Amino acid sequence: MRLQAALFLLAACVPSATAVFKDEVDHVDFHHALLGIPSVDTTFFLRPSASSSASLLYTLSEKSILGAVNPRDGSIVWRQNITRSSLSAAQQQQQQQQQGFLRGSDESNTVVSAVGADVSSWSAVDGKLVWENRFAGETVADLEVLEFEDASHPATVKDTIALFAGAVGTVRRFDGGSGDVKWEFKDQSGDLPFQVLSSPAEIYYISLHSVPSKGYKIKITSLDPLTGKPGQQYVLSSENEVAGPESVLFVGANNASPLVVWADKLHKTLKVNVIGSKQVHTITIDNESGEEIRSITVHASRKLNSLPHFLVQYETESSSWADVYHVDLKASTVSKAYHLPRTQERSVFATSNKDANVYFTRMSESEAAVVSSASHGILGRWSLQSPSTERPLHAVAEVVVKGDSVALRSAVVTESGDWHLIQNGQSGWTRYEALAGALAATWVEADDQEELAHELEVEGHQSLLGAYFHRVKRHVRDLQYLPDWLRELPSRVITSVFSDEVTNLDSFGINMPVIVATENGRVYALDTGKHGAVAWSVKAAEGQGTWDVRTIVTQPGSATVYVEDGSSVTLNTTSGAILSRTAPTTKTKSFAVVKQDASSPVVIGVKEDGTPLDAINGAGFLVTLGDDGRVRGWTAADNKYPVWEFAPPEGQRIVRATARPAHDPVASIGKVLGDRSVLYKYLNPNLALVTAVSGSTASFYLLDAISGQLLHASTQRGVDTTQPIPSVISENWFAYSFYGDAVQEGDARGYQLVVAELYESPTPNDRGPLGSASNYSSLFGAEPLPAPHVISQAFVIPEPISHMTVTQTRQGITTRQLLCTLPASNSLIGIPRPVLDPRRPVGRDATALEAEEGLFKYHPFLEFDGKWYISHARDVAGLSTVLSRPTLLESTSLVFAFGGDIFASRVNPSQAFDILGKGFSKLQLVLTVVALAVGVVILAPMVRRKQINAVWKASS
Amino acid sequence: MPPPPPPAWVVALNSPMPSLSKNASRIPDPPGYTKTKQRTQTSSSSAPAKPVETDALKLKKAWEIALAPSKQIPMNAIMMYMSGNSLQIFSIMMVFMLFKGPIQGLINTNAAFTKFEAESIRGKLVGVKAVYVLMQLALLALGIWKVNGMGLLPTTRSDWLAWESERQPLERAYFAFT
Repeated sequence: MRLQAALFLLAACVPSATAVFKDEVDHVDFHHALLGIPSVDTTFFLRPSASSSASLLYTLSEKSILGAVNPRDGSIVWRQNITRSSLSAAQQQQQQQQQGFLRGSDESNTVVSAVGADVSSWSAVDGKLVWENRFAGETVADLEVLEFEDASHPATVKDTIALFAGAVGTVRRFDGGSGDVKWEFKDQSGDLPFQVLSSPAEIYYISLHSVPSKGYKIKITSLDPLTGKPGQQYVLSSENEVAGPESVLFVGANNASPLVVWADKLHKTLKVNVIGSKQVHTITIDNESGEEIRSITVHASRKLNSLPHFLVQYETESSSWADVYHVDLKASTVSKAYHLPRTQERSVFATSNKDANVYFTRMSESEAAVVSSASHGILGRWSLQSPSTERPLHAVAEVVVKGDSVALRSAVVTESGDWHLIQNGQSGWTRYEALAGALAATWVEADDQEELAHELEVEGHQSLLGAYFHRVKRHVRDLQYLPDWLRELPSRVITSVFSDEVTNLDSFGINMPVIVATENGRVYALDTGKHGAVAWSVKAAEGQGTWDVRTIVTQPGSATVYVEDGSSVTLNTTSGAILSRTAPTTKTKSFAVVKQDASSPVVIGVKEDGTPLDAINGAGFLVTLGDDGRVRGWTAADNKYPVWEFAPPEGQRIVRATARPAHDPVASIGKVLGDRSVLYKYLNPNLALVTAVSGSTASFYLLDAISGQLLHASTQRGVDTTQPIPSVISENWFAYSFYGDAVQEGDARGYQLVVAELYESPTPNDRGPLGSASNYSSLFGAEPLPAPHVISQAFVIPEPISHMTVTQTRQGITTRQLLCTLPASNSLIGIPRPVLDPRRPVGRDATALEAEEGLFKYHPFLEFDGKWYISHARDVAGLSTVLSRPTLLESTSLVFAFGGDIFASRVNPSQAFDILGKGFSKLQLVLTVVALAVGVVILAPMVRRKQINAVWKASS
Repeated sequence: MPPPPPPAWVVALNSPMPSLSKNASRIPDPPGYTKTKQRTQTSSSSAPAKPVETDALKLKKAWEIALAPSKQIPMNAIMMYMSGNSLQIFSIMMVFMLFKGPIQGLINTNAAFTKFEAESIRGKLVGVKAVYVLMQLALLALGIWKVNGMGLLPTTRSDWLAWESERQPLERAYFAFT
């Protein structure tokens, strides 16, 4: 207790705000800037400007993030989230579902993207917005960059055509410099707008004409590039094969011979129409494998001047092959040029061109091969350095031809969501883009400490003598590790003297691996000690599908992932091996982790209506939030009837409920005032903070989770309830943030942060009605629980907060920080709690006594200090959840944020008072001691001689 | 064998100086020389004083010693007042000295009065000692006042906060909100 008090004093003495210094960036933290899994057709190599020689890798990912990646090292050059930031979360979600388009041209300086109703052009070099255009109520169905020259613009500016599907199909041509609409063509026929494409002379609009009870006919309308006037129109009778837009395999390539390719439902024949002629070529598919063809993909070069060759890839469950066809432009015929043999591996093809030549690259699981479209000779073949175990989904390639030899650079996206760069078979970088869809994460529980903790517990329960013998025996047993320890000693000493970090903090639980479960059914382990390198990644979901992970619970050595359908997967945390599975049961909404004693926790699923799935023996209460908007309390032993139920007033809807963290130690139960009196904190681990909204009001209810008693309620008016209202509760305080509009004159308008503290009593030195009782009961007390005395203060903050958490430390002595994600500036910030003290004096300066407490004058506008930014200058985008975890060092708390990017750091809210700083040099210390010892050895005989001489001289 | 006769210097040392002759006494002493003879004369003259007078004198002296600490009180009070309540090395040292003096004085109460100890004034000396102790206590009180002013006395609620424990709930709730 005294030690604790001393530490508390120490923690209180140091300044509470500490900044992340520049030299700590990438040392205490790591950041994975992610794009999301690159989509097929919107990923390509492109030279960012006509003058540059090297190309960048552009992609529009499944998360609708547009980005340019440096193929050299896999770092992000720039990225933009093209879902409109002003949209609400639900709308953004909806927009993410829509197909995105990304087109670029080697001669132009821009890339053009389209998603939803937006078309935007971005500078290819730095990702700055050139123009954007929005057509409400319509969605983009196709987008192409017009390759041909336009006299009104320099050659680097290319116009764009886009097809919009709204009430009617509309083709618009956008000016490449300004984004203005040059012309638009409306298709009034009621056909399904399908695609748009361009040839050197014309623009073609392709629509699907519905034939009742059969299918669709493909209708092709040519448009004048300058005016948009429709010209020639013809219909292909494809109604027997085409059942919908997905049946058409390929439309396109803006080259000299645009094609429409479709196949019949049984994948027996392939039909090809060279646009411009009405003739349909029928190609019989030669399926020698006997297996059912699962997919047919057509690859052709997009370049205007490239050869009119295309490749058709066939894929069955286990094998794949391809045929290359040539189009004769004059005769408008399609002929098979050669066949790429079937392999028993899954492979993907990529098209690249050099001038007019077209090259096809085949990336299979074990090798990469390049062929020219003109002949079947293999130009280059490399076996992959590290064969992938994952199925490749799609790839892009860049081929450099020098004489007879070719060099290949390809970027492959695998089913696991990894993006590999392979250079002539050598593995380059890997980007784990699936991490952008992280749903849940947690730190691994260290298992080496567990044994010691158990031993110590045994000792604690023994008699003094028994405990002594037990300890001696344990120490004797530990002697077996002595030789190893001695062997490691020299290297440990050397590394500790010369290493960058003064103290090796690994043994203090600083570098704990993190388990992350992602949307695509995978589980990753990130090694935080190695800058978040992926230690292992496994497919943990059964089947192909995605999963909706609710929570991850870790035990020493293993982690269990609980999924929304009631199933769970247990993995070994060091190897990633799946240890066990449980079958899906009922759809669950959430999981409660019941940790009654030192034994492993019991996890109870909660149904969507808020009913626990199981009843367990033993004491304890469960609190659930049902879909019907009611908070219910249950005894753990009974899942039939709730003990209490909290329903908000009529018209209000519960949007969020939160409770104190499971690990939330309180170092001091009171707050010492300037006059040395004590304001006792209202500490109740069973507090729940419920947020309910209705119209433009938001109400915050503080409940006792055992009895359901309402302890405190506050209502804010003029709240924009469509924006996130994050809230957090810890220790004896809670905080929430919202966008508030002015209701009355003088009200603040803007983003607000409200912090409220709970005290036992308004008067100091008073422990409230319960007095000094050592325990209390919410249910069986003589009187209902006393309500807390609440002091709150509101601040206007410069930008919205989307999520809030509190830092956790081992004993709670260190001051806490309120961790907030700032979506507007893509940062993570830690606001020190002393700044958010609701007892700050309003309208006057703090008196001497108040200043002694650390209070200072209240200012309604809370500016975010640059020192509070935990993410430093980094662009940490899309964070949805921030986790915090204590370490063995009281000063240090681990932070892990995920959702979009992955960001991890460690924070010292009260400075690193228990770690030696960087200014401390072990080498200098050792050298000083050595120098002093040498000095003593040399001087000692001299001094001794002098003293003896002095004695003799004095006596003579 | 009889011991040898003592040497001449021993005899001279043990036998008193022969009185000077009249003439010799007239010779003025050399400059800087003071006769020791006069001192022995005064001590021998006070020796035959009456016991009552000695007692009164002793008592007077004892009173002086007993009241000596009271003279320090105003000076110490001013010093303590001036030195401020902050915890600094000087004020801490001064407070330490302030405590050290009286405590030592109290321990040595009897020792301070041993030379005045006599059968006849024992009763009166008790009162003197009591005053002496009181005076030392007053100095101590000054020290305590100072220490209190510096906030070193655990007199406030906050000083005992660390010994108060958190009130534990008998029931425990587990939340399933996320």
